[in-house]
Amino acid sequence: MQLRHVSTNLRQGLRRNASMHLAVILTLFVSLSLAGIGLMMSKQADLTVDVIGSELQIQVVLCLPDDPQNASCTSEVTEEQKSAIATAIDDNPEVADFAFESKAESLEKLKALLGPEQFEGPDPVFTVEDAPQAVRITLKDPNDFDGTVDAVANLDGVSYITLAKDEVKPIFTLIDVLQYSSWGAAAALLLASILLVANTIRLTALARRKEIEIMRLVGASRIFIALPFLLEALVTALIGVALAVGAVAAFTQFALIGGLSEVVRALPFIGWAEWAETSLVLVVVAPILTVVPTLLLTRKYLRL
Amino acid sequence: MIRFEKVTKSYAGPDKPALNQVTINVDKGEFVFLVGASGSGKSTALRLLLREMRPTTGRVYVAGKEINRLATWKVPRLRRQIGTVFQDFRLLQNKNVSENVAFALQVIGRSGRDIKRTVPETLELVGLSGKATRMPEELSGGEQQRVAIARAMVNHPMILIADEPTGNLDPATSVGIMKLLDRINATGTTVLMATHDHGVVDQMRKRVIELDHGRVVRDEATGVYGFQH
Repeated sequence: MQLRHVSTNLRQGLRRNASMHLAVILTLFVSLSLAGIGLMMSKQADLTVDVIGSELQIQVVLCLPDDPQNASCTSEVTEEQKSAIATAIDDNPEVADFAFESKAESLEKLKALLGPEQFEGPDPVFTVEDAPQAVRITLKDPNDFDGTVDAVANLDGVSYITLAKDEVKPIFTLIDVLQYSSWGAAAALLLASILLVANTIRLTALARRKEIEIMRLVGASRIFIALPFLLEALVTALIGVALAVGAVAAFTQFALIGGLSEVVRALPFIGWAEWAETSLVLVVVAPILTVVPTLLLTRKYLRL
Repeated sequence: MIRFEKVTKSYAGPDKPALNQVTINVDKGEFVFLVGASGSGKSTALRLLLREMRPTTGRVYVAGKEINRLATWKVPRLRRQIGTVFQDFRLLQNKNVSENVAFALQVIGRSGRDIKRTVPETLELVGLSGKATRMPEELSGGEQQRVAIARAMVNHPMILIADEPTGNLDPATSVGIMKLLDRINATGTTVLMATHDHGVVDQMRKRVIELDHGRVVRDEATGVYGFQH
């Protein structure tokens, strides 16, 4: 009986404010989709950093035999040269941290950048012998790199130096713009959906005030009075989430997997694993966003 | 059953307190009229009993429990022990007589079987057995008040609070409602009735407590509305 009472109330409530609920669902859908895309973008940024280095990094590529990038390299960098390079880097105040990268590690990164096809088969284009050793230097400040470059550039065993800052900047700028604009829009729309939830509750509380008054008088528990409101909030949240999860899936499929990653082959792109993580976040966050204001407002309007 | 101990209730503002050092003691099974002009503090007293608010100072006891100290989540349990009836009936217009009475049980989580058994019994008690499926708008004022009384009594409360229950009814109908309240009182339910209605008070000859500007000015075991001369 109790269950039936609650479910009848829920159905009535959803029907009574159908247009308000639709508005809540649609704003939730759009805002959560944008938030989801923002989240995907930050995962994309993390992945890009992992593979091509953050903008704080300098990559010092070391000599290979017959180095195609630097004619003065005649042989593979020696251990003495490497320790001289390490000392020069270590002594530099601009450097936060540095690490040597072996030929094998370097090959893995090349694979990630270029795709595995050129590394496979009986006669691959690239082998571990073609991968240069390198030093990855993390700077304290991405704008203070002159001293480090000067100190290392002319040492024996150094082939060339790349500043990740220059390579990565436009990519990160793009990702940042996408991420922050989708988060900004999501925040504005989430605020709108919270206000819509608040208005819906106010309307429902007004429409049911006589009923609620009687429920309080005859001693219905607070949770029993608030339950239809909470369930309404939960149902709208779940529909909104379902739509948003679908939208982010469409984004993953059409913009990333079948879109950008086909065009921009030099960069790795996130995929379904990240979509799943993002969806999980949305599924947890959305009900909180509607249920918490409902709890606060039912206290206010229902004088619980 | 009900005890006010030096209860004072002041509202915000410069006005005098609505209740001022009121001490009242009502035993189990008593029938008590609370009389006095508008603004004398009757409604405040009833609202304190239902824990709609707390006294500024003093204590209110119901069934031996000090209810102003009651945790908020226990308030619904208190209200289940008190039936309430109002001047304006407060029935749900979209539910019929039987559903209005059943509503009080549904919302406190009673089983369907329980409700099916109790509601007809209660309708019989108030004399509405034949009108279970009528809508409130099809009923006379007196009948609507009987539905409200049935709703208040369906959970067998220890106390029935009635705030001007005859205020909207003609004298003849009021007599019927008073007879019903008397019958409910005879089964052991404590009845506390706030009223302006001289006729019913004088006719019933029950205990009368008169409030004036928030103070108890009279408490007689078998009183009438005005002072006896």
